[in-house]
Amino acid sequence: MLSRLLLLLAALASLSQGSRAHGTELPSPFSVWFEARFFEHILRWTHIPVQSESTYYEVALKKYGNTTWKDIHSCRKVQASSCDLTKFTLDLYRSHGYLARVRAVDNNEYSNWTVTETRFTVDEVILTVGSVTLEVTQDRVFGTIHPPRPQIVPAGDEYEQIFENFRKYMVSVRKIQEEKNTTLTVEQETFSLKVPREMGEFCIKVKPLVETRSNRAEWSEEQCLHLTEQYFTLTNLSIIFTSILILCGALVCLALQHYIRRRPRKLPAVLVFEKPHDFLPVNPVCPETLNTVHILDLDAFRKVSPELKDSVLHGSTDSGFGSGKPSLQTEESQFLLPGSHLQAQGTLGKEELLELRDSCGDNTDSGICLQEPSLHSSMGPAWKQPFGFTSQSQEDNDINLIQSTPGQPKNTQSDSALGHVHILEPGVSEEKDQVTVTSQGYQKQTQWKEGAADPEGHMDKELSLTDDFDPKLRVCLQAELTWPPPALAKGYLKQESQGVTPAPAGTPSRQWSQLTEEWSLLGVVSRDDLSTEGWNFAPKLAPLDYGAAPGGLLDSFDSNLATLPLISSLQVEE
Amino acid sequence: MRTLCISRWLLGMALILYSVHTRSLRRCLSSVDVHRMEQSFWDIRRALQTKDTFKNITILSSLKNLDSIKPVDVCCVTRHLLTFYRDRVFKDHQETSHKVMREISKIANLFLQMQSTLEQCLPCVPQVHSQCGCSQEATNATRIVQDNYNQLEVSSAALKSLGELDIFLAWIGKNHRETSAA
Repeated sequence: MLSRLLLLLAALASLSQGSRAHGTELPSPFSVWFEARFFEHILRWTHIPVQSESTYYEVALKKYGNTTWKDIHSCRKVQASSCDLTKFTLDLYRSHGYLARVRAVDNNEYSNWTVTETRFTVDEVILTVGSVTLEVTQDRVFGTIHPPRPQIVPAGDEYEQIFENFRKYMVSVRKIQEEKNTTLTVEQETFSLKVPREMGEFCIKVKPLVETRSNRAEWSEEQCLHLTEQYFTLTNLSIIFTSILILCGALVCLALQHYIRRRPRKLPAVLVFEKPHDFLPVNPVCPETLNTVHILDLDAFRKVSPELKDSVLHGSTDSGFGSGKPSLQTEESQFLLPGSHLQAQGTLGKEELLELRDSCGDNTDSGICLQEPSLHSSMGPAWKQPFGFTSQSQEDNDINLIQSTPGQPKNTQSDSALGHVHILEPGVSEEKDQVTVTSQGYQKQTQWKEGAADPEGHMDKELSLTDDFDPKLRVCLQAELTWPPPALAKGYLKQESQGVTPAPAGTPSRQWSQLTEEWSLLGVVSRDDLSTEGWNFAPKLAPLDYGAAPGGLLDSFDSNLATLPLISSLQVEE
Repeated sequence: MRTLCISRWLLGMALILYSVHTRSLRRCLSSVDVHRMEQSFWDIRRALQTKDTFKNITILSSLKNLDSIKPVDVCCVTRHLLTFYRDRVFKDHQETSHKVMREISKIANLFLQMQSTLEQCLPCVPQVHSQCGCSQEATNATRIVQDNYNQLEVSSAALKSLGELDIFLAWIGKNHRETSAA
């Protein structure tokens, strides 16, 4: 009896030792669980509290409803805490689930198995996205969501087949400067967002979900974009290019227009001035009338306006005449040399001449413009310009146009409104030879002191003045445009080519000098006004000294000169 | 010749009526109801399955063989299983946790609504109609479920059956969505 009890105790002791050898003392892992994503089934467990360097863990797997556990030898790693069981659970998504268990082993000591608390099913798979592609076009962001596609996935078990229906994605947009998120749900793998340009930099992330499932999900990695104002878009470039083309076309048109306008036009024939062959003897004012003597038309004097009789003739307003009276040019009545006047206008067309006649009143240049030759009959008294007297205005060196009416008593013209011009043919009585001068050109005269000048010298110069006063002279309105004014010229001697009354031949130089002395074209000249300062006629008219010898001038001077038309009715002073 | 025409006409009418009937079954259950039950189950899944000590067997293992069955069988099996859970599982389970009990109640109520919907789509009185249109395969599958339930201790069986609701709901969702899509 006693021996049987001893044998029983020994057996019990051996059994207990055997059980300890199989790891009953070794603690088992506290928990075992699955951490799975789409076809990424990871079994995890906790280490035992006391483990050595030789402690490893055994993993076993079983399908739910089966009775046999399958050991996974690939998971036996020292001090491991997880194991990938994907390839052992490929049918997870079409089964009722799996169970797994883990135990620790150390020096032939085994711990107890620790089983997963729940069935490992598709409900425990964490949904993820494989990748997100973002594309920015103008003001929209186009996104493409790519589901996960592990290589181990069996055919027919892709993400879209497993989760065939009710797939959705949450898209979160976050502005970097702000922490505010904007989340929207899309039902397809492609989406587009309208993002304003001024948003700057922002980040987008995506989280998948299945509407009929309660699976957990994870956000994808954030992708940040930076939107800037794109100035060089296709639309902007096309607009800029079109604008440049239009601008270039407009510039070309303007350039062509400008070129056409600036093309030198052929001047009308009447305005073409032929340059004189000889420079010196040419009157810069009226070069064409050097050798032409025109007969004065006395009838033209009758057309002189009444104002001119008693008025003081004035020259151009711009040249500052001595009188404060308005310029003769402003008056409609103008003197003309009929006939010769027309002849003289060789270079001018008749139309221009007529226009000149009509527009003389408005002519404000430095030329006298006379009209109404019939006015000469009502001119003021004639006067004789004494030698050496200047015009009323000493500073006014312009020519004063003087009129004289034949038959009128000679007076000083102190109250005359107009000056008188009388040109006498040497040796001819002034009363007889009344010359009507239609002055349309004028010769500028300069001042000279009384008695200071040599009469002879003046005579010579005066002769040149007579040369200038050629009835054949054209309208010299344009002369100032083509000829530079003489350096010493300070007045104007308006001349006009008209038919002049023939003057007796053989005029002595002395009478001729008298003629020139008494002649002043423009300006108010009266005896009282005559200052001690004389005034020079042609001598200082132009440095372009005509160079003609007095004799030569006298020779050229013929009787026709005595019949030169006067500006007004001249009263030749005996 | 006239008889042939009449027979063909009758066959066509039968097919039309059958398709109409099938379509009406497809609209019986909506996916929204199933998803609500899945959400409730997910909250108590861990609590139920952790307590399951008989993990070597399953109650609803036969449903695996019913993945591709006729639409009529789908309705038949669904109705039988709904009745099974209403009459045996929910009554046999003893839950101490209020949170778990609340969720189980939600699921039970949804089961009742689903059952009433199915009766409107396919009126079937088992006492009158023998199989209510269920095939042999469907009938065998429902019988296996009950046999498995009976092999376990009542509380364990009830606990395991509640733990396998996800299997039942997944089967419903799959088979009823397929018939609706068709």
